[in-house]
Amino acid sequence: MNKYIYSFLSLISNMASTNEIRKGVVIRQSGDLFVVVEFQHINPGKGAAFVRTRMKNLSNGKVVENTYKTSESVEIVDVNFQTMQFLYKTGDNFAFMNMQNYEQIEMNGDLVGGEGKYLKEGVECVIGLYEEQPVSIQLPKKIKYKVVEAPPAVKGDSASGNVTKEIKLDNGLIAYAPIFIKEGEEILINTETGEYSARA
Amino acid sequence: MRFKELRDSTQLKKIYDLRLEIIRQMRMWFYDCDFVEVDTPSAVISPDIEPHLNPVPVEFYNEHGEKNNFYLHTSPEYAMKKLLGAGYEKIFQICHCFRNVEESGNTHNPEFTMIEWYRAPGNYFEIMDDLENLFKAIGKKINVSKLQHHDIAVELNTTWERIKIKDLWQKYLGVNLDDYLTTKKMGELAAAHDLQVAPSDDFTDLFYKIFLNEIEPKLGQTVPTIIYEYPAQMAALARLCSDDNRYAERFELYAAGLEVANCFGELTDTKEQLTRFENERAQREKMDKVVLPIDKELVSALEYVPSAAGIALGVDRMVMLLTGARNINEVIFNTVADQLEK
Repeated sequence: MNKYIYSFLSLISNMASTNEIRKGVVIRQSGDLFVVVEFQHINPGKGAAFVRTRMKNLSNGKVVENTYKTSESVEIVDVNFQTMQFLYKTGDNFAFMNMQNYEQIEMNGDLVGGEGKYLKEGVECVIGLYEEQPVSIQLPKKIKYKVVEAPPAVKGDSASGNVTKEIKLDNGLIAYAPIFIKEGEEILINTETGEYSARA
Repeated sequence: MRFKELRDSTQLKKIYDLRLEIIRQMRMWFYDCDFVEVDTPSAVISPDIEPHLNPVPVEFYNEHGEKNNFYLHTSPEYAMKKLLGAGYEKIFQICHCFRNVEESGNTHNPEFTMIEWYRAPGNYFEIMDDLENLFKAIGKKINVSKLQHHDIAVELNTTWERIKIKDLWQKYLGVNLDDYLTTKKMGELAAAHDLQVAPSDDFTDLFYKIFLNEIEPKLGQTVPTIIYEYPAQMAALARLCSDDNRYAERFELYAAGLEVANCFGELTDTKEQLTRFENERAQREKMDKVVLPIDKELVSALEYVPSAAGIALGVDRMVMLLTGARNINEVIFNTVADQLEK
């Protein structure tokens, strides 16, 4: 019976189930708007299902943590998700362009967060817009970079236990890669962990 | 992780090597304590019928092409208790368990490794000692003195905290849990903490809504913490406390904010066990879930077991705590998520 009430309600309002929570989704709670920055399913005891979310208050930037039973109702606000390409950074702002209609937007460094360091020209991100304003950003899981600086592997490296070395990428990012990676090579970095993933 | 990542990353290799060593040391510890390692089927006709679990179905075909529906076990508990019924007294098993409809990543993988051990005769305070001694012994062998999960690190070698759930609620919520042991009262408490209360929420749902929001985030942050004596409604297969049957002999271990183990002073009263199975079956029907057969063999095995205590400890999570790995994909080779990745 409950599931029919939820579907009906979501037709006439924005009430949805916590099952629909994803990163970047915007929730209205106690009158404020929050963007979900992290969520995780937990199964306490012998398996009852709950969703733990970390959400950022869009008006004051404070992060709160809430744990909901799955299928609890939350008010999910309509966010327009668009794929946009990163263009450049000016000061503290990151500029993106929608390649279909050439519309441009700027996102503040605070909103982009730590992941900003992975951005380089041309990277396609999914940006959430609420009432035309950007509220969230999702980077691709892996991004391809060119290695611009990599010290050559020294004979005896593996023997002495050095199997990774510091390298510099084409957007200025510093990372660690296996010692056999050379300057000029293209590699993939995992944006969730910041670690070398594979040769491109 | 996948073989290529393991090959290329010293960090991942270090974690994986530690996993292998931890499991090896775990075995040695149990052999040294005179436990017998047992080995029970992964495919069973009667899996754990706890309403929130989703066992993975398998189909066996015999030589005539006739099909039989089995399930991969969500835990070896039922089978190990049958071995207690056969007369074994101190047993352990390290095996893969399977659970459907849970997350893949973070701290879950549909296929994961569990260690379970049982003492018959036994009580759950002995198991608390086993658990604390096991962790410390392994920590010593691999030279690790802290348990770490994300940004929280706790000292392994202090005396672990043991606290009754009732005292926990008094400490963090300022209430006497004795007064909140009904669905109605628990609902009132949840509402008082601005938590949503749905008409379909049962006592356990409400308990966890409050616990997960107001208490759990604070647990095990400075010292590994064992919380024990759960309300009777959440007893699962644990026996009720002899001095207060509103509570049950069940404990869980929290370390660095992560739940790692679940233990029972085992229910050995066969009549009570059958009643609990019937309630679980009814709840599964109510939740529109696959109705699973009641394991009558387990009930008869319990006739032969006067007292017992047992525990299930997540090995992958234990490895995460001892290595500081941030995601279960770092401690398991070829997780479900790895295998699904293009």
